[in-house]
Amino acid sequence: MSVVKLKDNKPEPTPYSEAALRNNAVVVEYCRTSMAALSGSTAGVLGLTGLYGFIFYVFAVVSLWVMFMVKTGPNWSKYYVSRQTLLTNGFFGALFTYVLFWTFIYGMVHVY
Amino acid sequence: MGSSVHKIIVIVGFISLFHSAFSAAQHRSYLRITSQEFTTLPLDIVVQAVVSLFAVMWGVLNVAGNLREIPAAAELNQIKWETQQNLPSFYIFNHRGKALADNYIPSGSGGGKSELENVE
Repeated sequence: MSVVKLKDNKPEPTPYSEAALRNNAVVVEYCRTSMAALSGSTAGVLGLTGLYGFIFYVFAVVSLWVMFMVKTGPNWSKYYVSRQTLLTNGFFGALFTYVLFWTFIYGMVHVY
Repeated sequence: MGSSVHKIIVIVGFISLFHSAFSAAQHRSYLRITSQEFTTLPLDIVVQAVVSLFAVMWGVLNVAGNLREIPAAAELNQIKWETQQNLPSFYIFNHRGKALADNYIPSGSGGGKSELENVE
């Protein structure tokens, strides 16, 4: 009996609009890819090597996340399902883009 | 209006980022010519690169498009009663009310029934 009651106490799941979710995912993915390319270029310009470059990437990811939070303001839950996945989603996928631009611009600026 | 401001931010930030890259390359070649050892970039180039990175990121964030509200009810709540009431299947174009118009010409003598049946 008590188990049933516990189940009843769960908050009612909110239905999400599929089209809006997909639209938001596209926007976030676009920003993330741009951020990876731009921060990779900046890391190359600054001449970061080794671990410092990866620390800079983490810094860029976190600052993009902060920018998303600033843009939506206090009612972020209207636009994203969760903040944590917004921060961590596609972390390694964008890392490859970052490394590509980092090494390319580093070579252009500092080696040649 | 807001979007064009952000586009300008993106363009200016890109130019600034290119400029800082160029400055870094020139600094590197200066060090090579004077045969000094590279330690770090001058602070102004670092600041310019990082600030322009943030500017372009903020611009891209706003150029990328508007986020839509994800709860399914958010857009359904916007529908007005006028939209709901609009039922094309129930539109009536031929009815007695047109006899009230000034330019109404009664046609035929058989009365309303045959007229209604001939309506295309």
